[in-house]
Amino acid sequence: MAEAVHPESHGHAEHESTGVDSRKLGMWLFLSSEFLFFGALITNYLLYSNRTGFNIYPREVYDIPFTSVSSFVLLMSSLTMVLAHNAVSRDDQPQARTWLFATAALGSVFLAGQVFEFTEFIVHYDMKLTTNPVASAFYVLTGFHGLHVAIGVFMLLSLWGISRFKGRLSEEKGMNVEMVGLYWHFVDIIWIVIFTVVYLIDAARV
Amino acid sequence: MASDTHPPHPSIRQYWRIAALLAVLTAIEVALFYIDNALELGAVNVALLLILAVLKFVIVVGWYMHLRFERPLLNRFFAAGLIMALGLYGVVLAAMGILAIRGN
Repeated sequence: MAEAVHPESHGHAEHESTGVDSRKLGMWLFLSSEFLFFGALITNYLLYSNRTGFNIYPREVYDIPFTSVSSFVLLMSSLTMVLAHNAVSRDDQPQARTWLFATAALGSVFLAGQVFEFTEFIVHYDMKLTTNPVASAFYVLTGFHGLHVAIGVFMLLSLWGISRFKGRLSEEKGMNVEMVGLYWHFVDIIWIVIFTVVYLIDAARV
Repeated sequence: MASDTHPPHPSIRQYWRIAALLAVLTAIEVALFYIDNALELGAVNVALLLILAVLKFVIVVGWYMHLRFERPLLNRFFAAGLIMALGLYGVVLAAMGILAIRGN
């Protein structure tokens, strides 16, 4: 059986014939499959946004400056996440905790922004989930992305809690930080696509 | 197993530089939105926005997710999902887009 140690595998051997830790391999496969999930939702939105005859379209009510700030916040959370991973690999526990908490905080700010955006759309523009198919497609797409962010925030806070109350993030937990990091960055790249395709390009049609 | 031949991950300073680059690219995207509002660039605007999004995507995946430092196997898995999604939904959009126009 092949046994290899990758420089960033935090010291534990990879007992896999592929030379890749099975958890890491599983995470990449999961993320790969997530493209199909979000691809379906983005496609659904694009199909309905191209149809005419609806009483209101999300692109008519977008607040691009606000969403731009939200996007920037999520983008910067990828920086804090990678800094947390870097700190764990250097066994700098206080820094790792700080960056993990910062990432969770930035994720929470993004979520708060999404809640605010949804509230604005519903209260001020009367664009609800059931208003029309394009509104449904918008809420389902961005809502599922928000759910992914919320799950990420939960995982980040769990790691932070483990580190804060149960001692240091061990080598084993180091791999967990890497897994959560991969998930978090994926959530970020999905938003990069949503922000461009669903917000900026669609809003330019108004 | 040639697992130790991977280049080292970026330094902390490099991570900050990458973040600054991502911020600049996002700022250009938003600026393009306003420029398009004033000048109506149309398809050029869409093309530029897509190029910027692809750039940001590649930077995050390559440097923050460390895919460019990983084994080819992981690159293939990731690319497979991405290509399948782009292919599948590209076909769906092409087909349904035509149907949507006819339906209206």
